[in-house]
Amino acid sequence: MVEFRLPKNSTVGKGRIFTATPGASNVKNFRIYRWSPDDDRNPVVDTYEIDLDKIGPMVLDALIHIKNDVDSTLTFRRSCREGICGSCAMNIAGENTLACLKPIRDIEGDIAIYPLPHMPVIKDLVPDLDGAYAQLRSIEPWLKSDTLPPPDSERRQSIEERAELDGMWECILCFCCSTSCPSYWWNGDRYLGPATLLAAYRWIADSRDEHTGDRLDALEDPLKLYACRTIMNCTQTCPKGLNPAKAIGRIKELQLERKA
Amino acid sequence: MSNMKKPHITVMRSQLSRARGLGSGQAGVGHWWAERASAVALVPLSGWFVIQVFRLAGASQPEVAKWGARPFNTTMMLSLVILTFYHTQLGLQVIIDDYVHGKAHLPAGLLMKGIVFLLGLFGTVSVLKLALAGSTKGRVAAG
Repeated sequence: MVEFRLPKNSTVGKGRIFTATPGASNVKNFRIYRWSPDDDRNPVVDTYEIDLDKIGPMVLDALIHIKNDVDSTLTFRRSCREGICGSCAMNIAGENTLACLKPIRDIEGDIAIYPLPHMPVIKDLVPDLDGAYAQLRSIEPWLKSDTLPPPDSERRQSIEERAELDGMWECILCFCCSTSCPSYWWNGDRYLGPATLLAAYRWIADSRDEHTGDRLDALEDPLKLYACRTIMNCTQTCPKGLNPAKAIGRIKELQLERKA
Repeated sequence: MSNMKKPHITVMRSQLSRARGLGSGQAGVGHWWAERASAVALVPLSGWFVIQVFRLAGASQPEVAKWGARPFNTTMMLSLVILTFYHTQLGLQVIIDDYVHGKAHLPAGLLMKGIVFLLGLFGTVSVLKLALAGSTKGRVAAG
């Protein structure tokens, strides 16, 4: 059966409180999930009182400030700090998003920060995405064409054909969408999840690709694709404003279209 | 045997192998489409049925039997009953796929399908009984 409760060794306890320096006037509490594989303890939530006057405007600025100046043991992924690498995807105030694109002022009250939901945790805010990456690899996200390209130029597309890829090439594979999806939580071992299905449709819709039918064959499965229940969390949460639910709908339409 | 009981890593299969799994089941689009098509068909059928229930409110048994014996009403009622339980089965299968995993999955689906099938059949027989009984009564009364 599906698990509705956290396993015993995953229940979250209370952690330490890091108080702000005296005299700080613009203080906000950051409540951050902490877990380390190095000891046998359950996860806890540590509270950091942060003076917003000292840091930049985004949640990632607060995390970097904590790591640099408050508690160097806090572990998280980050790289580009401008929403293009997808590293700092995490659950902030109940919503999966990129810490670098999430303004602190958009959140009222304390800011709760957890790793992406329902994935194994490596440490603190770092989830294990190996399974999700392997699922992406399984849909073969690269151009498959039997016709050789012209010897003196690239494979060409019309303006209209190229426009078909808009709304999909922008995906940075942060997996905010997949990890926000209850279907992916319940059946993530077989359901591919919105991020991977968006990538799959990106190649199905590509006019240069010649393996559209094979791609549709590979997805025609009660769970790989059809475990999507159009819950729409994926589209709601995408920090890049993309619409994976629409891409999934298009794949279903194409599979129906070829039956007739 | 003692070696088996020691704590050890039981899955060393690669992530890609796990992701590919057993490959595509080559099913799903039919179920998905049938669920939507039956839902759309049930909208007018259910609307019609609700109107009929209000129209028949307070009617006597012979009046209801006469209503049920009309071929149009019998056809609509059978369509409603069969499609309702067909749609129920499709929808409950989705819930079982979501929430029941492992060895219980197949028996849970079979049990659900059996129960829904019997309920649907019961409804069908009831409609037919009303339809046929009504026509018999009609002939007796006329004779």
